[in-house]
Amino acid sequence: MRVEIMKRKTLNNYILYAAAIIVAIIFIYPLYILFMVSFSPTRYTLDELYPSQLPSHLSLTNFVSALTQYNFVSPMFKSLEVAFLVGIITLAVAIPAAYGLSKLNKRLANLIVVFLFMANLVPALIIAIPISVEFIKAGLFDSALALALAQSLFTMPLATFIILGAFRSIPKDIENQARVDGMGMIRTLYTLLVPLAKAGVAVAFLLSWLTSWDEFTFAVILSPLKPTLPVIVYLNITEGSLVQAAAFAAVISVPVIILTVVLQKYIKGVYLSGGLTG
Amino acid sequence: MTQKKIKLELKHITKKFGKNVILDDVNLKIYEGELFAILGPSGTGKSTLLKVIVGIEDPDSGSVIVDGKDITDLPPNKRNIAMVFQNYALYPNMNVFGNISFPLRLEGMKKSEIEKKVNDAAKLLGISEILRSSVNSISGGQKQRVALARALVRDPAMFLLDEPFSNLDARVRFTAREELKRLRDSLKSTFIYVTHDQRETSNITTRVGVLNNGTFQQIDSFNNLYETPKTKWVGDFIGNFPMGFMQKDKTHLIGFRPEWAVVGKGNMTAKLVTNEVSGNTNYWMCETKGGLMIVLVGNKLLKVGTTIHFRLKKYNLYENDKFVKQVKSK
Ligand SMILES: Nc1ncnc2c1ncn2[C@@H]1O[C@H](COP(=O)(O)OP(=O)(O)O)[C@@H](O)[C@H]1O
Ligand SMILES: [Mg+2]
Repeated sequence: MRVEIMKRKTLNNYILYAAAIIVAIIFIYPLYILFMVSFSPTRYTLDELYPSQLPSHLSLTNFVSALTQYNFVSPMFKSLEVAFLVGIITLAVAIPAAYGLSKLNKRLANLIVVFLFMANLVPALIIAIPISVEFIKAGLFDSALALALAQSLFTMPLATFIILGAFRSIPKDIENQARVDGMGMIRTLYTLLVPLAKAGVAVAFLLSWLTSWDEFTFAVILSPLKPTLPVIVYLNITEGSLVQAAAFAAVISVPVIILTVVLQKYIKGVYLSGGLTG
Repeated sequence: MTQKKIKLELKHITKKFGKNVILDDVNLKIYEGELFAILGPSGTGKSTLLKVIVGIEDPDSGSVIVDGKDITDLPPNKRNIAMVFQNYALYPNMNVFGNISFPLRLEGMKKSEIEKKVNDAAKLLGISEILRSSVNSISGGQKQRVALARALVRDPAMFLLDEPFSNLDARVRFTAREELKRLRDSLKSTFIYVTHDQRETSNITTRVGVLNNGTFQQIDSFNNLYETPKTKWVGDFIGNFPMGFMQKDKTHLIGFRPEWAVVGKGNMTAKLVTNEVSGNTNYWMCETKGGLMIVLVGNKLLKVGTTIHFRLKKYNLYENDKFVKQVKSK
């Protein structure tokens, strides 16, 4: 009987693995094609009716043409600048917000977090247009700061949620002890709790960074003249320069892939559940 | 008798969590140099009371007075009261030295002075060897000493300890009590600790406050708590066995400890319900006429249902569950 259970278990495992592989292929295949297209001359990819699925004739020509024909450097710096600003602005608000929420009765705090996420339900477009009007008035149009502020609207709830979870996982008495030992509240927060919650804070920062890095709607509306990378990709596609678009898209994907791998360890951990359990 | 100086005074402290009244008009005076235990069942608000004293919880009303000064509105960091939390609350991101020196570094004390203070405290508590260890790698007993060392480097006005022995294993627990007493004797400071276990209060304390239902039922030496509990509840709560009570009349109860009864002759009777052997002594759990349970010291195992005759050398008289007087028979 035990053998049978074991057999069934291994069978279940095989099914799981098969499913995982299929899902992985669905996600990875387009990426693979993207990299194929960006690293091969068009002759072997876009210009062929039935392009080979295996990489041959790898070259950097598309990158060279993309980088020489378009101003690649300034969109990239713009994207970097905005993404880092978003990470910083998000933390600057989410850390004290999460700390405040951690002091509230758990049920009320959870309710407020749910409420925060409502901002994410509103389509970006609806928010972006009135904001852009205000930014134009304020002389902030096309600036990295303005775009970062707008994008932070969408990154804040998740960041607050993650950091709240991290704070809740720190024993209450550690904080109490710090206060007894002579720390005020603000100092306790920044010199004790934030370091103890550093994994959660880092995850919140990186997720915000990533969200900004490939955000499109706000970027195209609030910063059309000095665009970010996703906007450049879009412009290239509409102009028909698919190859350059692919090259830019590949550049965008690299940090996304790297960060996703880095974050994986934490994302499946306590930080996404810590906020609501217990 | 010399007038003792009052170190801590609590006046009419009440504390609610939502609708739950946890502390209900708590009054307490603690004298300089006392080793005072707050004793009560779990969930009665002992930890909450310590947190009110140290300033982590604000009372809903009432005042906390230390050395004659009202500190009710001061934040914890302005009170100079040290507290050791139940799980010791060591900072996991610092080693032992970092933990002990933490309050001093916050004060901005000079490095050399910090070194000296930490070393002195570590020596006093016998943890000099582990100063560079991670707090995650040391034993429960060592953690407690680290927490104590961190508390005492500050020269606080007094020490609060929440269930200081509950996380130690039985063998260490025994000596830890004596050590706490020795520590108090050498520092000559005021110590208040919380426990739900009366065995942790009997030998070492100056006085014990019995907390229940949000207020102190009795504040007395352990001996007096045992000998003359002020209410039936305290009589039941204190002692290895609850105090035995018998109905005297409608409003009066007779209360006595097992060893106050002489078994064999006498005009009182009770029916044996069960034998209980504890060490070398045999106890008889008996039911009295009114249905209340009492405990007698027996010399042998008896059959359940046997009627036992006894008389009392002394007993306490209670009226409406309140102590009236102790009566000694000739
Ligand atoms: N921060 C809090 N919020 C709500 N209820 C609390 C809080 N702290 C303690 N309590 C409740 O108050 C009661 C007393 O708790 P506590 O002081 O820890 O008791 P003790 O230390 O005597 O076991 C318990 O019922 C507990 O659930
Ligand atoms: Mg407690």
